[in-house]
Formats: sequence, C-alpha cells, structure tokens
Amino acid sequence: MEMKISDNDVLLDCRNIWKIFGARAPAAVKAVSERGLSKKQVLQEFDCVVGVADASLQLCRGEIFCVMGLSGSGKSTLVRLFNRLIEPSLGTVTVKGREISGLNAAELRDMRARTIGMVFQSVALLPHRTVLENAAFGLEVRGIAKEKRNQIALAALEKVGLSDWTARYPSELSGGMQQRVGLARAFASDPEIILMDEPFSALDPLIRKQLQDEFRQLTKSLGKSSVFITHDLDEAIRIGDRIAIMKDGVIVQVGTAEEIVTKPADDYVADFVAGISRIHLVKAHSVMKPVAEFRAEQPNCDVDALLRTTPDADIGELIDLTMRSDSDAVAVVHDGKIVGVVTIRGLLRGVAGTPAEARAAA
Amino acid sequence: MDTSVLTDTFDLWIDDGLAWISDNGEWAFDSLRGILEGTYDGILWLLQLAPFYVVALIVGLLAWRLMGLASAILTGVALAFCAVMGLWGETMTTLALVATATVLALVVGIPIGIAAGFLATLNTALEPVLDLIQTLPPYIYLLPAIALLGYGPATALIATFVVAMPPAIRLTSLGIRMTPHEFIELGHASGLTPWQMFTKVRLPFAIPSVMAGINQSLMMSFGMVVIAGIVGSGGLGETIYGAVRTLDIATSINAAIAIVILTMILDRLTQNAARRVKVGAR
Repeated sequence: MEMKISDNDVLLDCRNIWKIFGARAPAAVKAVSERGLSKKQVLQEFDCVVGVADASLQLCRGEIFCVMGLSGSGKSTLVRLFNRLIEPSLGTVTVKGREISGLNAAELRDMRARTIGMVFQSVALLPHRTVLENAAFGLEVRGIAKEKRNQIALAALEKVGLSDWTARYPSELSGGMQQRVGLARAFASDPEIILMDEPFSALDPLIRKQLQDEFRQLTKSLGKSSVFITHDLDEAIRIGDRIAIMKDGVIVQVGTAEEIVTKPADDYVADFVAGISRIHLVKAHSVMKPVAEFRAEQPNCDVDALLRTTPDADIGELIDLTMRSDSDAVAVVHDGKIVGVVTIRGLLRGVAGTPAEARAAA
Repeated sequence: MDTSVLTDTFDLWIDDGLAWISDNGEWAFDSLRGILEGTYDGILWLLQLAPFYVVALIVGLLAWRLMGLASAILTGVALAFCAVMGLWGETMTTLALVATATVLALVVGIPIGIAAGFLATLNTALEPVLDLIQTLPPYIYLLPAIALLGYGPATALIATFVVAMPPAIRLTSLGIRMTPHEFIELGHASGLTPWQMFTKVRLPFAIPSVMAGINQSLMMSFGMVVIAGIVGSGGLGETIYGAVRTLDIATSINAAIAIVILTMILDRLTQNAARRVKVGAR
C-alpha cells in the first residue's frame, strides 16, 4: 500500500514550515528555532499566533493531496505558503526542486503564472469581464496573443461544460457555474500544480458532488497535481489520493483515506472519522485475520473451499461475497496464496470501525 | 494687549509673504495666468463657434445616446431656453470656465488620488489638507488669487480649481483602496506585475468611484464659478453679481435658471456616462 516516492516525483516539497503572525513574530520565530517553544508558549510569551506549526508534506506528480481541517486550523495559511502569497516564518518550500524563498519578484511571478495555479473559495471572477475573458486571464497576463488565448480558454471552458456561456458576465452565472469558470481559468494556464482553497465549500451539496467528481476526473486526465484544501472530510475522501488532517496549525496525520479512517493517529482524528461510512474505505487486508488463527478457531472449516477475493476488496464487496457464500468467511488471496480470512465478525468490526481491534486484525 | 500683538504680527507676516510672493513670483504667475486663460479662451472659442441651436442639438444627441429620447428633448429645449432668455453668451462662458477648471482639477487630482490610494502615509497627510480646503468658505480662495493673478477669469479659474480638486482626490484614492481583497490575491496568485495589477484589477474596480469624483468635481466647479462672478470671471456668475448690486431681480432669476439648467444637464450626462464606462477588459 505504501507508495514508493523517488525525488523526481515530488513536485512540491514543504519541510518544517512555520508561520507565526503578530507584532513580535521575528522574536517568536527565533525562540521557536532555538528553544523549540510550543504554540501555547509562543502565544503566552510573545503574544503571537501560530498559523502553521512545523508542517511537512510532499505532493507527488499526478497526486491530489487534500488538507482537511476546521476553520482556524491553518489550512488556508498553509496553502498560501506554497505559492508565497504568504511568506513562511521558518522552513522551506521547494517547487520542482527549486526553493521558492530564493526566487526574485520576476521569477516568482513566472512560477505563479506557469507552474502553480490557484482556485479560490470566493472564485474571484472579475465582474467587468466576460466568462471567456475571465478564463483567459492567466494567459492574458502572460502576454499571449488574444486569438491564441481565447482559443485555449474556450477549450478549457468546453472541458467544464460552459462553452455556450463565453459571452456572459459572471453575475449572470450560478455559483456552481462561476466556480467552473474558476476551474477553467486555472486549467487554461496549464500549470503543473493547482492549489485549491476550499473551492466548493460555498456550493450546495449536489453541485458540490458533481464538481468534486469533475475536478478529480479533469485533474487525473490532464495529469495535473493538486493540493486541495477543505473542511469537509467526505470531500477529502472523495477527492484525495492522500489526506492530511490539520488541527491548530499542526498536521496531525497524513495518509490515504483508509489509513486515516482505520488507523486514526489520535482522538481528534478518531472523532472526526467516527461518522464516516467505512463500506467503501476499509479493505480486506485491514479486517482479515491470519489463516492459522482462523484454522485454530474453526478447525472444521476448509479454508481452500472458501470464496476468494483480493486484499483490496472493500467491505461492500466482502459483504456481497459473504452473502453468496455457504460459509461465514471469505478467503483473501494475494499472489496466488491465501494470506488471510475475513469472517463476519471481522466485517462487523470494519463497519463499526473500532480502531484498536482493526489494527490488531491488520 | 498681548494677544493683539500676536495676531497683528501674524497678519503682518501674511501680508509681507503675499507681497513677497507677488513681487518675486511675477513671471510664474504671469505664465500661470497665460496658461489658464489660454485654455479657457480656446474652449470658449470652440463653444461659441457654432450657433446656439447647433450646440443644443449636439448636447441633445449626446443625451439621447446616454439617457433616451425624453431626456434628449428636454435637454435641447432647456438649452434653447437659455438662448431665449438672452443669456447664451454668458451660459457658454460659464460652461467654458467650469470645463477648464474641472479638467485642470482632474488632471492634477486624479494622479494625486491614485498615489494616495497606494500610499497610506500620503493619504493620511492629505486628509487634513483636503478637510481644510473643503471647510473654508470658498470666498477665501478669491483673495490671494486676485492678489496674485489680478481681476479676471484666471482668478476665477484658480479658485474654482482649488475647490473642485478635493472630491477628485478623495474619491480616486478611495476607489483605488476599495479593490476587494480576493482580487488582489487573485492578481498575485496569477503572477501579475504591479502595472498589470493596477490596470487589470485595481483600476476597473476604482472606475465607479473615480467617475463619482469627476461628477462631484464638476458640481463643486459650478458652485464656485458663480461665486467667482465677484472677481470678474464673466459668464452667469458675473451676471448674477451685477444683478444683485443693481437689485435687478428678474435678471438674477434668469441667470439662476440658466445655471440650474447647465448644472443639471452636465450632472446627468456625467452620471450616465459613468455607468457605461468599463475599463480593463480588452
């Protein structure tokens, strides 16, 4: 399950970054780097607020990385550190092997125009421009000729299903359509990385779900990578290849949806994932028990006669299999070998999500 | 008394200062006067080139384009009425004065306003100066102006210019500062140069406020140009001032009507023009 990451594949590498806000921020930063103060101490001693504390993450090529946190968790600050809309107080951000704190103004503009696109919750469509002119904005800024940029923008609008709306103004569009234009504007510039700052949070649930699916499909088909900020765990699970959970400026856990749901790092994450349906998240390999253990418990059952499945089958599939089976267990096969058995008990545990036992079972 | 000594000394300084300025800055004021009256004469010549019905027709057509047929007819008829009252020459003189003073106020005021929009310190420094200009009774500006520039349109123009400038500065500065934060962020995230940020993001959002400033400058100009009748500005202001001195109530009312007509036409025209202005999208 663990992805092997080579250095070439890391598009955006952020290491131990801090962002401290306040009048005495420089002193607080010094104290943090020299004395290793905690956030609470920084607030008490320097009256400074820690927005992001010691955050590290790597965005790989082709990956959608979700950062999930409630309001005030520092997730919006974190994403702005990646294109230097906010300067980090400490730590480094490297984009395609280049540390961005070392870029001069022109290089930074170039990086923002070509490499890192951004989509905002507020959408920020310029009200005096048509949909087409808005979608072409990034290209216009780069000085691409009108005909060329309109052509590219139109293609981007087609991808989000708005090619009939090019001559309209943003105020004539619904919220969902406006955010589609926002997406088209970001994709039209053809950046490798797209930063998504809670882009769908203000939309109603049905439209949000549609846009989530479209965004994931578009990003994957175009081979883009994305850091996606959200306060909605369902959204993070739906969209993200990996998810980071943020709390009070700290990244508490990074992992796939399944890892986070089945092995929450602390009580905070556990509380969060408690309400999430595990049916499609928890896989056979997390709920199966070793063959020997199963044999010891049920000596009469012939393991080789059980219905078989793969370690990646989710609970939904396992339930289907069990229902079709004569016995109450399913064998999990990997590389032609039975590596474990999923019993009804294991399934129930997976659905209920009692982490300790699930971990033990895995 | 102690205090009277203080004020007398202060008054002496002011008088000496003004005398010194008018003695030593004569060439400067002469050339200033030349520029002001030259611009004014040019505009006036242009306005008097055509007979009144042609002007009324042109302005009426403009009103038609901006506001519709009813307004257009009303505009044309109202302007013709000025001529019927025998005040066409004065009306055009007033228009030329207002146009000259407003254009000058905008040429100076809008760039200052833009600078103040970007530099918070400049804005803070300007604030009390503009407050002072706007709270002092407008007559005040006529006195130093008449001392330095003499009796005539130049004095009226400079006093009107001073009064018309503050709204242009204030509302331009406000417009520049009003850009919503998310669009500034969009600009940065899209890699805009500072100039692009100004022309493509800030300016389009500032335009309504700037246009309101232009309209306000124009209205201030009208107010002042009438007062400036006292210093021989010519036009409707001087007609009213003359009528007041001779207690010629009928003439003063005629001139007042002409001023109202002119003011309302220009106010509506600029307000409606403002709604149509869109900058930034090309």
